[in-house]
Amino acid sequence: MNGVIKRYRFMAFAAGIMSLLLWFVELPVVYLMDNPDLAAKVKWIPFVHGYVYAFYVLAAIHFTARARFTIKRMILFILAGTLPVASFLAERKVMREFPVQ
Amino acid sequence: MKKIGVGLVILALCGTFVKLGFWQLDRAAELKELQKPYVEQPVIALTDIAQPSSNLSDNAINRIVTFSGRYAMQFDAPGQEDKNGKKKTWLVGLLEVEGSGAILVVRSVNGSDIPKGEVTVQGRLLVRQFEDRVAKSDGALSRLDPSLLVGMYDLPIFDGYVVAQSEVVDGKNLNLPRVEIDPARPNVPGYYWQHISYVVIWWLMALVVVFLPFYGRKRRIEEGVRA
Repeated sequence: MNGVIKRYRFMAFAAGIMSLLLWFVELPVVYLMDNPDLAAKVKWIPFVHGYVYAFYVLAAIHFTARARFTIKRMILFILAGTLPVASFLAERKVMREFPVQ
Repeated sequence: MKKIGVGLVILALCGTFVKLGFWQLDRAAELKELQKPYVEQPVIALTDIAQPSSNLSDNAINRIVTFSGRYAMQFDAPGQEDKNGKKKTWLVGLLEVEGSGAILVVRSVNGSDIPKGEVTVQGRLLVRQFEDRVAKSDGALSRLDPSLLVGMYDLPIFDGYVVAQSEVVDGKNLNLPRVEIDPARPNVPGYYWQHISYVVIWWLMALVVVFLPFYGRKRRIEEGVRA
């Protein structure tokens, strides 16, 4: 179980950081600033975020299934990866409930 | 009955996610297509690929078209940008096409009188502009959009506008400085691998939706065994 929790925590951090970058760096640069050079520099963010989220979903399913969470909690954990701070909160919750040995 | 309801919800969700995946796949393919250079096609009569009061079809956009008729009105279109990024006021005529409706024609970057008599125009057909280039004012077009002429003109109007490459009146070519513009490129936001990543996510979600009921069933069985 420790490995599963560690994988989930790692992916929660990665998904949270990528969400923060997407919401507060890439989107404002592309849609609020008229600066094509800067937009070109941040173009890696959305697709890295996309793949990181896919792996986050797999890690969240693996962890919640092993922890025998309800379907509702599993869905909430999956959705937590879509909002900038929700995955960090989910990770904290996991740490409280399942302190790694 | 409840099982059928749950099954239908799962089917609907799964179908939606699969469809969203295909939608992103199409956008990725469209982006890839846009990276290829535009291939010019043969000149075609305007009325063969467009009809007044109808939206332009995708295959009509960017075609070099030819048509004849008489100019009914002329406007200034300030704040228009050519392919080199130079902003100028364009001279735009409304030409009544023989036996059909009227179409907006970008004639020149310099002021010129409306030619008298029948004019044969050849130029590139482009999709209408959606955003104003300047504030609305009388006698000027804030953007190249036939809908701005509704109420000002009775005949049906073609969608889009033509950037004239030549105008021939009574067998003589009108020597006007023409607007230089590149073929329009549809704007698909995002990047190829970004859309592919969304395909992965949507289809993963479809799999998750299919997986959840089995997970719920397994969980209930395990709880039953423990009880």
